[in-house]
This record gives sequence, C-alpha cells and structure tokens, in this order.
Amino acid sequence: MLLEPELRAQLERLALRSRRRVRGMWSGRHASVQRGESLDFADYRQYTPGDDFRRIDHNLRARLGVVLVRLFEAEDELPLHLVCDVSASMGHRTKLRTAQVLAGAIAYMALSGGDRVYPAATPGRHTALDAAQPARHLGGWPRLEAWLESLSPSGPTNLAAAFQAARHRGVARGPFVVISDLLSEGWGPALDLLGAAGTGGLVLHVLAPDELEPDLSGDLRLVDAETGATIDVSTSETTMAAYRDAVAAFVRDAAARSRRNGMDYVLVPARPGAVSETILALAAAEVVG
Amino acid sequence: MSFLAPAFLGLAALAIPLVALYMLRSRRQRVEVPSVMLWKEVGPAVSSAVPWQRLKITPLLLLQLLILAVFVALLARPFFVQESELGPHTVFVIDTSGSMAMDGRLDAAKNRAVGLARDASEANLISVIEAGTKPRVVAAFSQDAGDLVRAIEALEPGGAVEDLGAALRLARGLASPDRPTRVFLFSDGGPPSEVGPVEEPVLGVRHLWFDSRDDNVAITAFATDPSTEGTARVFVEISNFSDRERTASVEVAVEGVVTAVADIELGPLARGRDTIRLDAAPGDVVTARLLDNVDALGMDDTSSVLIGTGAQQTVTVLGEGSLFLDALIDAVPGVTRAAGAAPDLAIVDGAFAGEVDRPAWYINPERPPEGVTVTGFIENAVVTYQRPGEPLLEAVDLSQLAVARAQLVEAPGWLPLVRASDAPLVLLGEIEGRRAIYFAFDLTHSNLPVQVSYPILGARILDWLGGGQAQIEAAAPAGTPIATAPPEGAAVVVTMPDGSERTLPAGSTLFTDTAQPGVYRVAYDGEEGEVAQGPVAVRQFVAAESAGGSRELQVVAADTGGADTGRLIREWGPRILLVLIALSLVEWWLGHQRPWLRRRSLA
Repeated sequence: MLLEPELRAQLERLALRSRRRVRGMWSGRHASVQRGESLDFADYRQYTPGDDFRRIDHNLRARLGVVLVRLFEAEDELPLHLVCDVSASMGHRTKLRTAQVLAGAIAYMALSGGDRVYPAATPGRHTALDAAQPARHLGGWPRLEAWLESLSPSGPTNLAAAFQAARHRGVARGPFVVISDLLSEGWGPALDLLGAAGTGGLVLHVLAPDELEPDLSGDLRLVDAETGATIDVSTSETTMAAYRDAVAAFVRDAAARSRRNGMDYVLVPARPGAVSETILALAAAEVVG
Repeated sequence: MSFLAPAFLGLAALAIPLVALYMLRSRRQRVEVPSVMLWKEVGPAVSSAVPWQRLKITPLLLLQLLILAVFVALLARPFFVQESELGPHTVFVIDTSGSMAMDGRLDAAKNRAVGLARDASEANLISVIEAGTKPRVVAAFSQDAGDLVRAIEALEPGGAVEDLGAALRLARGLASPDRPTRVFLFSDGGPPSEVGPVEEPVLGVRHLWFDSRDDNVAITAFATDPSTEGTARVFVEISNFSDRERTASVEVAVEGVVTAVADIELGPLARGRDTIRLDAAPGDVVTARLLDNVDALGMDDTSSVLIGTGAQQTVTVLGEGSLFLDALIDAVPGVTRAAGAAPDLAIVDGAFAGEVDRPAWYINPERPPEGVTVTGFIENAVVTYQRPGEPLLEAVDLSQLAVARAQLVEAPGWLPLVRASDAPLVLLGEIEGRRAIYFAFDLTHSNLPVQVSYPILGARILDWLGGGQAQIEAAAPAGTPIATAPPEGAAVVVTMPDGSERTLPAGSTLFTDTAQPGVYRVAYDGEEGEVAQGPVAVRQFVAAESAGGSRELQVVAADTGGADTGRLIREWGPRILLVLIALSLVEWWLGHQRPWLRRRSLA
C-alpha cells in the first residue's frame, strides 16, 4: 500500500491551490480563464447578437443607454501534470520510494479534489516519458497507485524531453509537479522550458541524506550510476567541505530557478517522515490548503 | 643478548617491502554514486603520475614494524645463559634400594631430581639410571622434561640392596666424547659400614645425600624348616631400630589364614626372636606381619616364606665333630645322619680332608682340600666383611662373630663370604664340580654356635650343599631373579606381589624384576590358551636395609673440563611469543577499528 489510511484521510481534507486561472476540460473548483455560469460576477461587455437576453443588465441600459451583458466567472477542473523522475540516480537509498509516495500523495489530493491528474514517469522504457492513463476522481486511484508501485529506477535523466512530451498531453493546460533529484546537467533549461510555457507548478527536490552529507573516505573512483562516468576523488576535510558547498549551491540554484519559472520548490531529504514534512511545508507555502 | 639462529635476523630486511607498501599509492576504490555532477565542482583529485607517495608515519606502520622485529627476534631464538647444576649431559643415578623407602628419602630424591630435570634442554641432556639390584637406564640423553619427570616419578623403592658400583659404571658408560658428562647420585649412601656399597672416593660423582630417618621396627628374619609331617616351624626375628622400648605383635598367616599371633618385647636397638610351629603343608605361603606398627619404613613390616618339601638328605660327619654340629643336624629338618656308607653330604670337622667324593662342609680341616692352602693362623679374628646380597647369608648377622684362632688360607677361585680383615673366614667353592664350603675356624673356638643365626646359616649350608633339593626355595632376598622353565612357545606371566601382572616373551627363563618383596606366582600361557602353573617364589626385604643406615660418600669432583659446563641456556622464545600475540591483537584492532578515524554520523 503506497499511502497509509491515516495519510489518505489527511490528504482528503486538503486540496491543491492554483495561483493562476486554469483552463480545464470540465468544470471544477478552480478559477478558469473562461467566463462561465457561476454566481461570481466577473465583468460587462457589449451586447452582440446571439447573447442570452437574460444577461442584459437593464439597470445599466436605463441609466447609461448602452446595452451591456453581465459576465460571470467560470470554474474548471485543475489538469495536474505529475512527472516523477525514475532515472537510475533515483535508485539510490530510498529516493525512489520517497518520490513514489510523494507522487501518490499529490495525486490522491488532486483526485479527492476532483482534479484531473496526468501521471508520467521519466525516463520511459523507450522514450523520454512513460505516460500513464489520466485519472479524474478517486475511482482511478487504485490503477494510479498500481502504476506508481510498478516504477523502478533505470536509465539516464532527460527532464527537458520529458517536460516537452508532457506538455502536449491532452488539451488542457495545467501546472506541473516535478518530483526529481535534478541530478542531470540539463535540469536548469528543463525548468526554464516549463517557465516559458507558463505552466507553473511545484518542484519536489528529492535527495538522499548521504548526497547532502557523504560518508566517504580514502582515495576513491566515483562511478555515475546513470552514465557510468567516473571521477577520482581523494577525500579530505577540504574536499568534503567543497562538496558540501557545491550541494548547498545546487539546492539554492534549484530553488531560485524554480521560483523564477513560476514554480514552488521544496527540498525533500529521502528519510523516514519526509512525506509528512513535505505536506506541512506545502501547506505553509499555501500550495495546498 | 645472543641468538641460537642468528641467520634469521636477515629477515629484518622485510621491513623494506613493508615500508614500500606504505609508500605505494593504493588503487582507488570504485564507489557508485547517483551522480558525479556535484563532485565535478569539488575540483581535481589529489593524484600523481608516479605510483609513490610520501611516507606517512602512522601508528599502524610503527606497530607493524615492531611486530616484524619481534617476529624476527623469535625466529633468531635469543637466549640468556644461567648458571646451572646441570652439564651438557647429566646422568641421574637414583638409588631405589630398600633403605630409600625410609622416611620419604626416595620421594625427596625424586623431587630434587624432578626439579633439576625441568631444566633439561637441547644443551642440557639428562639420562636417568635406576640403581636397584640390577641397575637399568630408564631415560637416556633426553631433552624432554616431561618424559624425564614421568620416568623419575615412576621409580619405586624395592626391598633389595642397591648395586651402586654397577650403577655408576653404567652411568660412566653413558658418557659420550662430545658432551662432558656429570653424574648425580641420589642416594642415602648405604649403611655406614666400613666397606661401602661402592669403592670410595667416588670419582666424578656428585652425591646428593638423603639421610632422613625415624623409628623403625622390622621383620629382619623370617625362615622356615621344611615340613615332613605336615607341620613346620617358622623363625621370626623382629628388630627395633628405635631408641625406645617397643612391643611388636606379629601375626602369622598360612595361605592368608591367620594361625598365630605372637608378642615380642623389644628393647632399644634390640632384636627379638620367636619360633612358631604351624600346621602348614609344603608349598604353602606363610606370611608374617607386624600389627599396628606405624614407623618410617613400611615395606619391612611384612615378610613371607614358602614351606619346603622336606626332602631328606643324609649327612656324615668326618672328624671329631661337636655338640653344636650334632644339634644342628638334629635341628635342621630334612637332614638325617647317615646310617649307611653313602651319605649325600659330608662334614669334615677338623679331620684330614682326604678324598671326599661328595659335597662337603670343611670346618677347620687338618689338611685343606684341593685348591685351598693354609699359610698361617690369625688370632682373635673379628668379622670385617660379610658379602652383601649373598643368599646363604640372608638374614644372617655375623657382625658379632668372634674367632679365637683361625687359619690364614689362600684359595684362588673360591668366593670369600666372610672375612676378618684380609683373612677369609668362610669361603664358597667347588671341587671337581662338587659344592664345597670352607670354614677357616673351629666352631668350638668361636662364638658362632651361640649366635642366633647359627641354625639358619647351618640349615642353608646343608641345603645348598645338597643342591637345593628342598625343591621349593623357601625365600630369597628381593632382587634375586626367578628361574622359569616355560613349555615351548608359552609366554611367562608373573603375578607380582602387588597383584599386577608382567608378561615375558615365550622362552624367557629368567625374571629379574623382583625388587618388590612378596610372593611371585609364575604361570605359563600356552599358544592355544592353556595355562600351566609355574613356580611360586618369595622375595624378602633385605634386612640390612631396614636399619636405614646412611653415609655421605666421599667423592672427588668431576673434571668436566669444558667451559660450557654448568650453564643453562634459557630462550626468550615463550615470552617473545606472548608479546607477538599481544602486538598482533593490537594491530588487528587498530587496523580494523581505526579508532582515530571517527565516522561522521549521517544527517
């Protein structure tokens, strides 16, 4: 079971918040970029033939002599693109498991709020993206849960290609939730791609504790789990301090770049209790509520 | 410090490759990480084109060098020299005669010998000789302290007289030209008589003297008359070797059944005797035992004897004869005066010996027999020598014998049994294959007939002259061999007095391990399992040993000559091995735990 019942109950009381108007296929609970049939007044516009006579504001016509029709807000469903990184680097320690549970939690929250979820994993078996069937309500959760459970780490990361492929899924435009360790050279441009598309969303940056603070000693030849590239390292206090500085800079850059591209950022150390801590952090940032 | 194998010091050169290993760069360990992206920003690794690096002096390196040094030292076998009583080869001659059983003398001797034997080594070999009646080597040129200790601990006192002379000759025979040999004699030195157990001064021997003693009451004589009518007489003599009065209770048992108990009052340093008539048949074992006697020597508190068969010998007395001779002939069972003209034995008492064609006892004959020449006479002769271990004189004390006038004889080929200074008084010999015994004095001119031992000596002489026709040997001193006559192919099984059994190879005709006093029963174990009974023999504790006399022998120091004598080489090996093990454990702990490298805790 991916999510414990207690966590599910907690998630059902929460809902994703969208900072932008959304364009969904179906009505929902999020403000749409379109005008609709809700009770919330939005604007006036000139009457044009064909408009519903019932929306003509007769008070304004009597007072100003112009024929205007009242426009109301529309509410659409939120089309959420959930991209989970399952590259080989995510197989380190409990990173993938943490990513799976996080993805499940976000998806469950969205589904319980009536939002549509477009789940995908990168890389796919033969392509950059392995897209699963979208789900719109909790009835699709078992299938989505099974799909998440089936994910296994392999292959190199190519976030840009994955985001490009995900953007063209469906007709709706919605925010991206990216769950990844961002440990590939193209992580920055990939986020820029989402920023340029104006999707917004959330970056959950999953790193193992020993990636933040490595436990290595001696003269080592480090082998990249994804590419097989090697690098010689002679550990020393200086070396380890330099690595810690590099990690800190990496995290800072990731956060800054995410925000610059209109996305929220949360660093998730892959350790027990990480999911609950992340939910709290998201609530504090009013990403969920 | 010196080394027994200094060539191994060359192994110290192994320190060079050891240090070189520390200067070699270790091959980098491959570790898989999720990504090397961040490590690229750390900067280039410290590496060099050459496979060497500057030597870092670490505690581990110092410890390993120390272990190498200790290991090399262990192989080179360092040693130190210690003064020792042992020489390159030392022979322990340990006296196991009856007197060594007195008051723990043998135990003390064994303890001392064991203490010395523990220093045995390749450079200090030790041999051990048991000095009993028949000296034997129980350990030869041994460097194994364990074997030596076991051999020494196995020695037990016998009831016999030691033959120290033969033991020392055997010890000298063990000397080898390449190793100076020392001889340690662990002995009480024998009784303090004028003539010692070995010719003194003893050359090249160190005498370790054990002379502890305490009160002792002993059965010093136990003899029997052959039985003719189903009854027998036993003579028992008890000696008190303490300086206080004692009452000795003697229990006499026939074949294990107690038949008589006699109490004998004993003054200080006195003897008491008794004659007991028993209902015993020929071949029965009669055992005398002192009751409730706690003293310093327990082996002489029991004595056994066999009842003889009572075969009759006829004897004729030629010459004047005497009342004493008549009484002797009457008293000795199995001997009767000859009625006819063909006696078995002849006693020539002061008469002209002439041609006697049968075994004869010559007593101060007017003309000596063939082989004996009278060269003069001596007056007031006093006994100075009594041949030790002589069966005829067993339990016969002639120290109080005084002779008013005796012949001064020369008898080449005859064996002197008793002497007064250089003059033999009693001689043993053969004339044309016939046994003969010669007394150089007239019985009536001596106090022999009034000596307690007179009837015993007389009976033995007559028995010996008759060729031991008593059939069954009544008793013999401990150490006397037992003759066996096994059927063809049969092994000889001897049941010892303590109940243990010894098996001799088929065809063995002599059993010599008879130092233990008591009854020996011989059986012949045939090839097909049939068992035939052999002779029963009794060996008695030699009375002279009961006194527990001792003397410090005069010795002349050995000329061991070599400078290497008296040194004991002790190796440091065991201590070094312990240090090596301790260092290795520390090295293992340091090498695997690396306590100076604290592992960082994970966030």
